[in-house]
Amino acid sequence: MARTAPMGSRTQLVQQLWRDRYIYLFLLPSTALFALYTLWPIGVSIYFSMLDWSGFEQAGRFIGFANYKELANDRLFWNAFRNTVTFMVLAVPLRVGLALLLAILLNQALPFSRVFRTAIFLPVVTTAAILGVVMRFILDPTSGPVNLALLQSGILDQPVNFLGQSGVALYTAVGVWVWKWLGITLIYWLAALQTVPKDLYEAARIDGASGWQRIVYITLPLLTPFTIIITLITVVEATNVFDLMLTLTNGGPFYATEVIDIFVYRQAFASNTPRLGYASAASLFFGICVIALALLQLIILRRIRQKPAETE
Amino acid sequence: MNSSKQVNVINRRELMAGVAAITAMAAVMGSRSAHAQEGTLAWWDHFQPLAELHERMWANYAAESGGVPVEHTVMNPSDMMQSLQLAFRSGEAPDVASIPDSLAVISQLLRAGRFASLTDAVSLDKPVQREALFDGMHIVDGEVYSFPIFSFRWHTTALWFHKQMLEEAGMDPDAGPRDWDQIAAAAQATTGNGRYGLLLPIQFTGRMEAHLDDLAQMAGGVGPIDWRTGQYTFAGDQYVEALEFLLSFQENGTLHPASSSLDARQGRVRWAAGEAAMFTDGPWNSGSLASNMPDVIDGIGVVTNPMRSAGSTMQVGPAAGTFWVTEQSQMREQASELLAMMTTDEYYVALAERMDQPPLDLSAVERADVHETYRTIVREYPETVRLAPEPLIRNPDIAQVYAQMRTVSPGLGEIIQGAFAGAVPDIRATLQEYQDAMTAERDRAISVARENGAQVSVDDWIFENWEQGTDFAPDQYS
Repeated sequence: MARTAPMGSRTQLVQQLWRDRYIYLFLLPSTALFALYTLWPIGVSIYFSMLDWSGFEQAGRFIGFANYKELANDRLFWNAFRNTVTFMVLAVPLRVGLALLLAILLNQALPFSRVFRTAIFLPVVTTAAILGVVMRFILDPTSGPVNLALLQSGILDQPVNFLGQSGVALYTAVGVWVWKWLGITLIYWLAALQTVPKDLYEAARIDGASGWQRIVYITLPLLTPFTIIITLITVVEATNVFDLMLTLTNGGPFYATEVIDIFVYRQAFASNTPRLGYASAASLFFGICVIALALLQLIILRRIRQKPAETE
Repeated sequence: MNSSKQVNVINRRELMAGVAAITAMAAVMGSRSAHAQEGTLAWWDHFQPLAELHERMWANYAAESGGVPVEHTVMNPSDMMQSLQLAFRSGEAPDVASIPDSLAVISQLLRAGRFASLTDAVSLDKPVQREALFDGMHIVDGEVYSFPIFSFRWHTTALWFHKQMLEEAGMDPDAGPRDWDQIAAAAQATTGNGRYGLLLPIQFTGRMEAHLDDLAQMAGGVGPIDWRTGQYTFAGDQYVEALEFLLSFQENGTLHPASSSLDARQGRVRWAAGEAAMFTDGPWNSGSLASNMPDVIDGIGVVTNPMRSAGSTMQVGPAAGTFWVTEQSQMREQASELLAMMTTDEYYVALAERMDQPPLDLSAVERADVHETYRTIVREYPETVRLAPEPLIRNPDIAQVYAQMRTVSPGLGEIIQGAFAGAVPDIRATLQEYQDAMTAERDRAISVARENGAQVSVDDWIFENWEQGTDFAPDQYS
């Protein structure tokens, strides 16, 4: 019996596999692509991160965790890390919050709401790299319309070098990024708002609830599941700003807007002596941090969601 | 009826097979177009201004018996190195490539066996050509691997100005400002009514680094390395003063405010459009203006060596090879024949007429049909640009040190950018820090190279017989 049981289960497994063969067959292409374009690069990056390699030689020299040790003491890496985190901390709440506010407004039967929705969504379909170049003209200190408007309206008496001052450039980049992607978050929220039952608002209105109370006690609680996923998506997107940042500021001035993506690119390709191994280590380390952050965010938000249920 | 139905209707299986076949065909065609066609020579470079000249030459070559067509790809310098990295590894390297990078990267590639030597089709027997070739840089084990098509006698920091603006400010538009005080006065006099005295391409850190190196030498400095001691000089007075001088334009409001977010190309366009009176750029500015803004160029003047103190010279190392035949090439002979076309007197004249970097034979500029600004600027180079020593020539093992040397960040260009952005409060201390970091990095690279068997030391950077203001002749290496 002891010998026949595994044999039996093996036969069962084979039979089950054969029975479900079409499922596996149809899963095969996506699994192969996932392995090829996601798992394989991750695996290779882990290996590369342990090499001293410029990319010009056929193979690098294995140096173990030396790249990671060097990263720990690289102040420009930590500067890029700090810039990325600052960017995320500022940009995510701004984009998610502003989009929610606009979604609530545009969800009402207001005149021209479709026009506004289209106008806000338009930058989303524009290429980020092109947008970066265009914004340099728009924010130009001498001939840019933003500075001209601020000067002519008397708000400022001196032009602001939005992209050329180290204390201002990162905040400017945050503003440009939020503006560019606001439309897509707005669409998420508008979709989420359609799931809130209209009769709840109706009942609240009959009970004498004000507009603000309806938002606070009906809309926001019912949007909590969407908040989790929209915030998570936005956090991940806020760590991938390479194209916009490269064309907008190229990481400057003096590393003020150098985010991790630009740091990795500089180490791997734009340096006098390219360092593919070091760049891989930096990108892996940061990738792990983002995964940890996403998990932490999920845990916290789940706890928040569970609390009312527990108290009930 | 039935038979016609069978002919016209495509079932699902046939549709899938058709889609698969089309996809496979597209993949095959795509992979072919990514690399040169069979019998075609692939040539990658970063010389957009020379593309027309070269493509005309190659078309003639292709029409000759035994000639092959050339598939030419012009790239941005930064994209070029990235593409070459991937191409070398994947066996997709072009037959010929330019290397828009430092001597460190070139020697690293040479050492890694990425290049092939030229065949006998290339003959470099003119004095100006023989003088430009050095062991370790262009020649390895007696075989020539590459040669420069450009002279080493040029620098990046000429002062270009709108003659009319200077004239309106009461200055001599033909002479132009020729020292620090005159430039500062010209900047003050031309600033106003939405116009600024000077525009600098501060976002292009590599260019700003070159400008500071040049300005420090015009002020009497010896260059980034003092060859008598082998030590870096970035914390020297000339560097500090040159940077403070540049910063003074920002402090007194005569620097175009957009400078910090402009690179050289964008800066050139805005300066040429009249937003600023003066702009710093290399000799290629003539070519760029002539081809892109022909209406502007006749109103432009140039000072080759602004801020030059009496007797000061630029110390510039030997020019590296311009084009390299890759070891993956199956067309070495044809590639060498094409390169041989770049060694003739006619080629040097044609090259001068592109008004880019000056040709290897500077005398070709006098014979060429070029704009007066280009002739003016190149005419002064023989007097003011001197050949500096190169440690790699005396000791080929230095290539291993170069290969190990990592980029020190922040570099000189970033420090300049930081100073303009207000992020570098103490210039001298920051430059000292940079100098110390460069010294430490070189020491580390020497130490690693020695561990790998290289016979090198910091003494390889010392040339006691070097004299500032003179060319370091080949016989001085021994």
